[in-house]
Parts: sequence; structure tokens; C-alpha cells
Amino acid sequence: MANKRKLGLFSAVIMGLGGAIGFEIFVLLNYAYFDLAGPSMISALLFCGIINLVTMLSYSELSAALPEVGGEYTYTKVAFGGIISFMAGCLRWLASVFVGALAAVVFVDQLGVLFSVFAPSIQDLVLANVSVLIIGLVVILIVLAIRGAKEATTLIVAAFLAIFIIFLFTSIGYTLTPQNIVPEVSPNSLIVFFATTAYIFPMFVGMRALVAGAPQIKNPGKNVPRALMITTILLTVVYFGVAYVAVGVVPFDMLRTAGDPPLLNLAASIIMGPVGAILFALAGIIASVSSVGTAMSVQSSILGGMSRDGYLPNVLQKIHKRFGTRYVAIIASSLFVIFFGTSGAVEFLVYAASFGSLLVFALVNLSLIQLRRKMPRLDRPFKAPLYPLTPLAGIVMSVLLLTFPVILRDVNAESALFSSLGMVAIVLVTYYLRMVKREIDFNRLRVAVGGICFGAGITLIVLTPIIAPLSLFSIMILVGLVSIIAGMLNIVASARKID
Amino acid sequence: MEKRRILSAIFGIAQGIIGVLSGVLAVLLFLNILELQTVFNAPPELLPLYLLILGLFSIFSVISGFFLIREWRV
Repeated sequence: MANKRKLGLFSAVIMGLGGAIGFEIFVLLNYAYFDLAGPSMISALLFCGIINLVTMLSYSELSAALPEVGGEYTYTKVAFGGIISFMAGCLRWLASVFVGALAAVVFVDQLGVLFSVFAPSIQDLVLANVSVLIIGLVVILIVLAIRGAKEATTLIVAAFLAIFIIFLFTSIGYTLTPQNIVPEVSPNSLIVFFATTAYIFPMFVGMRALVAGAPQIKNPGKNVPRALMITTILLTVVYFGVAYVAVGVVPFDMLRTAGDPPLLNLAASIIMGPVGAILFALAGIIASVSSVGTAMSVQSSILGGMSRDGYLPNVLQKIHKRFGTRYVAIIASSLFVIFFGTSGAVEFLVYAASFGSLLVFALVNLSLIQLRRKMPRLDRPFKAPLYPLTPLAGIVMSVLLLTFPVILRDVNAESALFSSLGMVAIVLVTYYLRMVKREIDFNRLRVAVGGICFGAGITLIVLTPIIAPLSLFSIMILVGLVSIIAGMLNIVASARKID
Repeated sequence: MEKRRILSAIFGIAQGIIGVLSGVLAVLLFLNILELQTVFNAPPELLPLYLLILGLFSIFSVISGFFLIREWRV
């Protein structure tokens, strides 16, 4: 392993920036500014940076103590084993699916913005064929991923930083006077502020790529924690600067219509003219394509790892004979990206991506506390300061942030929360079915599921005459009857085997 | 015993299909594909609730159907 450790502090910082700086800034800033907090989203960005810094302290300690491949999955596996690590792996996969889908949506959006500069008729064509373009993009990336194409992370980061710096410098000539960047102290505006923080959180999440890359970094005990801190501070400064300028030149109350460019593209075209519009649209396209590719590779790696550990079917480990890549896992993950990407439900995807990431953050902080208790003599080259306040603050803030969009009664957030909880339920049942071998437990589970179906069937039959329209009456009664009989069959088959 | 296996197969497959269709209906309703929100007269504020109920019903139906099919195949 030692001969593979080639990267120094600078490369580690680039790795962190490469994971974090991406397409998210285009879609999330726009949503946060026009639909949520207005100018006070700048403060939400700073708050996001602080939350990220707190959790990165936990990441730093864990990555320095356990610098193996696997990141969050490894930390939770060592700390808790079994179901928690399975849950962390699944949440990470889930978040990656939603990020990939969101990136695919942004790709089409930015393609539309690019054509709007010099060929508005093609822009209409792009916006009318969103699903076709997303499927086309993902299919091309599947082929590239199976062929084992490498990404040019350093190049993309350098290009992005250069574009942002040019943007900031050219804005010097403008008088920037963004109003109300600090949220009002009232219950409503504070709820909106925290909900905004939850929505823009994915802008920082990607920097944990640095933790995943820890095995390649020289002297990880020192370099990984330093790189995490430097990356967090750099990201916060760059995002703050870009958002401050964008908010300063684009009025909050401007009239917007469908097909208008997002906040950042709009600000670039105001400050830098058509050159800025093209430059930012190209940056958005490259970043989103790169993010879809990364998300697909992360998903296939997680699915492959979990399959190797016996949690998922072996077929996901199948390696392509010619290219040596996990092609079944790549194709399986891509189908989910296509499904959610073509839905076009941006707000849904934004919250759903946050949901998985924030829960993983909470699990990482929990793992830190558990490892301090379980393995007090573990060699820790870096220790999170102010323990246990730091991980506790990380857990509380992660869970609280998840609840604010729901308190705001955002229909998309509620739907994403319910869907994600449903997926977590599937994960738990899958784990139980895969890993619990004792026949008695299997029979108890079967009786429980049978009971639920039996109850659901009776409820459906009782409610059908009250709520169902006449056209659906017979279908609902039939569904209810099937549920009752199937439930009874499950109960009868397993109940007598329990005692 | 053979009759019960046949019964398990029939109801297992039927419930599995109902489960999958419920899941598909949940997605179609939420994304308003085929204008289903208008067809079912579903108010937007209740969509998350519909998504949850249909989703849970779908999950448990698929699992229950899977158990019955497993009994038939074993």
C-alpha cells in the first residue's frame, strides 16, 4: 500500500475541490435565491460552510485513524458493523443516484442556456426534448464508464477556479449593494433560512471525495485533516464571493419566465456580456457531465463493495472481460439516474440528494463517538477538538436541517422525505432478508408482513364504498381481496413454525 | 399441500403485480404523467401522503408476494 501513496497536500486539496466544485452551484444558488431565501441565502452559504467544517473534523479524525478504501462505509463498519454500515452504504448510493439525476437535468438546462446566446430556436428544441437528451447523455456515459474512461478532475477544477476568479475580478467595476443578506429574526424567515441551508448543502458534500482518496495520500494522518480544513475554507470563500456578486447584480424581484437562465448565468451575462454567458454555460455543461460520470462510478463502486460483503446479489460484481469494469453495477445504477433525471422534478431531487448526504454525515459523527468508546487505544494522528461537542453538534445540525424544508410544508421536500424513508424501509427489509438466516426470524417476519397485508386489505375494502369513485370500485375491492387472501396464506404458512 | 402451493403461486404473482403497479401509479401520480392528478382529482398538498400510502402498500405487497412465490418455488 505504501508505494501507492504518491499525492501531497496540494493534490489532496485539489481532490477535495474537484469533488465539491461542480454543477450544484448553478442549480442550487438559483433555487435558493429566487424561490427560497432571497439575498439572505449568502448567509445560509456561510452557515453551510460552518456545518461542513464541524463534520469535516469528524471525517478528519476517522480518515486519519482508518485511512483505508471505503470512506463512510468503512468508518461505520468498524464502529458498528452490520446494519449501520449497510445503511450508510445505501444512503451514500441513494444520494449519489439523486445527485447524478440532478446533474443530468442541469446538463440539459445549461445546454439550453448555451444555445439561447446564439441560436434561440435550438434552445426551444433542447427544452422540448429534455428526456431524450438525458437518456442520450447517460447512455454515452455508460459506454465510457464500462470502457473505464478516466476523468480530468484537476483540469476541470483549474478551469472552474479560473472562471470564478475572472468573474469576481470583472465585477470590481460594479457597485454591488445586495440588500438583506442577513435573515430577519422571525420564526418564518429563520425556518426559510435553515431550509435554504439544507437545500444548498450538496454544494459542499462532494469534498468528501478527499476522504475516499485518502489511501493515495502521503502521510494521511497530517495531510488529510489539513486538506479537509483548507478545502472547506477555500470553498466557503469562493462560494461566498460568487454568490455575493451574483446577488449584487441580479435584482431579487426581477420578473422571470420559463427558459430564463439560472442566477449564475444571468449574473455572468450581465457582468461579462455574451462571452460570460457562453463561458458559464460551457462550465455548467462540463461540470454536469463530469458529475453524472462521477455519480455513476461512485454508485457502481458502492454496489460492487456491498455485493462483495454479501449484502447484495453477486451479479453486481461481474467484471467486463475486456475493460475490467463492473458493467452490471454501472448499468443498474444508470437506470435509476435515467428514471429520476427524466422526471425533471428539480426541487424533489435537490432535497432527496441532501437527505442521503445529511444522514450519512450524522452516521459518520455517530461512528466517531462509538469508536472513541469502543477502541480508545486506536492510533489517532488527528483528534477532533472539543469532543464530544463537535460530533454531537454535527449530528444535531444534520438531523435538524432535514426537518426544516418539511416544516416549511414544501410539497417536494415532503415527497422526497417520504420516498427516501420508503427506500430506507426497503433497505432494512433487504438487510433482514439477506443477513438473518435463522428460520424462526424469517417466519416472524413473514407473519408480520402477512398481518400488514391482511389489515391493509380489510381497510381497503371498508374504505372503498366511502372514498372510491364508481369506476375504480371493482378494482379496489379485487386488490383488497387479493391482499387479504395473500396475507392469510403468509400467516397460516409461518405461524405454526414459530413455536 | 399441492393445492396450497398453487394458491400461493396465484396469489403471490397477483400480489407482486399489484405491488409493482401501485409503485408505478405512485410515481405517475406524483409526476402528473398522463394528467393523473386531474384524473384522480388529487389536491397537490395531499400528494406526499398519497405517495407514502401507495409506496408502503407497494413495498409490502411485493414482499408478501415474494414470500408466497418463494413457497411455491421451494
